[in-house]
Amino acid sequence: MKWNILLISIALQLCALPALANDNESPSTETAPAPELSAYEKHVQRMTSKWASLIPTHMVIQNAGNMGIVSAGIGWSYGKRHQWECDLMFGYIPMHDSNRGKLTSTIKANYMPWNICLNPNGDWNKKGRWNFEPLSASLYINTVYGHEFWRSQPGRYPDKYYDFMSTKFRLNAAIGQRLTYVIPQSKRQHHNRVTLFYEVGTCDLYVRSMFQTSIPLKDILGLSIGAKFYML
Amino acid sequence: MKKYVLILTTCMLSACDGLFDIHPYDVKFSGETGINKKQMAVIESHFKNSDTLRVAFISDTHLWLSDARDQVADVNKRNVDFVVHCGDLTDTATAKEYEWSRDILQGLKAPFVALIGNHDYLGTGDQSYGVMYGDKDFSFIAGRVKFVCLNTNATEYDYLAAVPNFDFMEEEMVKDSAQFDRTILVMHAPPYSDQFNNNVCKAFRRYLDYFPGLMFCVYGHNHDDVVEDIYNDGLLFYSIDCAQHRKYRIFTITPDGYEMEHITY
Repeated sequence: MKWNILLISIALQLCALPALANDNESPSTETAPAPELSAYEKHVQRMTSKWASLIPTHMVIQNAGNMGIVSAGIGWSYGKRHQWECDLMFGYIPMHDSNRGKLTSTIKANYMPWNICLNPNGDWNKKGRWNFEPLSASLYINTVYGHEFWRSQPGRYPDKYYDFMSTKFRLNAAIGQRLTYVIPQSKRQHHNRVTLFYEVGTCDLYVRSMFQTSIPLKDILGLSIGAKFYML
Repeated sequence: MKKYVLILTTCMLSACDGLFDIHPYDVKFSGETGINKKQMAVIESHFKNSDTLRVAFISDTHLWLSDARDQVADVNKRNVDFVVHCGDLTDTATAKEYEWSRDILQGLKAPFVALIGNHDYLGTGDQSYGVMYGDKDFSFIAGRVKFVCLNTNATEYDYLAAVPNFDFMEEEMVKDSAQFDRTILVMHAPPYSDQFNNNVCKAFRRYLDYFPGLMFCVYGHNHDDVVEDIYNDGLLFYSIDCAQHRKYRIFTITPDGYEMEHITY
């Protein structure tokens, strides 16, 4: 139960952030003398702009990362430099040697502190702009669906036997790098920029293993590559 | 754009191996699987007509992998015929943990078999055990002694499954009866433990009487090294300690009886 509440509260907070970010930016753009609006119209405007912040800004697809062979979903980017992102993804674990394939869902928060333009003198309007983000740090919670997995230990076990874990939820951490192509305005169709990224990450169970015994770091790290397509 | 997505997806799907982690419970292994069946065949062919057997019993590796490595090195020095692992090969039953403990056990010079422990059930762990090791109840014969390895982790099934499997026990009492005179029973969780179906402890004991020449029982799970006459009727139950405590037992089985060495390494 506490896991669900945690997930929902994280999701709500992440969704609220872009709304705040938009609020901060909006006064500067509204310099023109606005026509007199009725209280109702103001209310509608406020409400629409708030709900508009819930429109996903991008789509994401990535492989592995302890979320399945491939995961795809939608995301929201926010912050002045789009340095924060939140992704909601669904993934698929193939059957391999188990009884069946499994579905997973992931809520993921990303932070990219730096953004370097690779062609500052280039012709952005004609050839577009290349941005490099030398570090992305991600934290994500993955849920795997299936009757084999429990979120906290079932009653059949002695008290606090598996208190330290859940087989259903995995907390993961990853760091990586990203390369973004900002599409020139004239060439945009559905997207304004495309990002390719890779990340190297691990999950709570593996980190726990490392603390318990000597395992080479490479054994608990996994690579993931993916792409993001930004609409907004 | 669609073309790029398609190319990227294909690359992702095709490139997935080793480098990429699909999921801790993905039941995807590199390296050897189906171990018990192969190793039992080796044991049965090598020691079918042996007069004496030296058998090492180890247990509860969990994540004490450095200790397990030392244990394997120690067993290798002591000239044993084969090794039986009494379960809990992993701590949280992820596919990686199964590979880690297997890779260490493969360092054994002698053939080995492994039982499933309660920790090995977490998530898809029991499916992983099935792929990597095999059936949860199994038996083999060496030196005219039948080693009956029983799954006793009833709690993992909410007591709904046939654990311990009395049908299997009945079969094993009579199967290949011309080839063995004595029996050793191996299990992970002993009677009256938190994993055993304690409603059938006494019935279980009655069944044991039908095994030809039952010598003793061996179990893991408790992380201790007691030798106990659990039912107060002369049948000894030997507990095998966990890897962390750096102890295990070697039994030397002769035509007249057996000797037990308690090893500390």
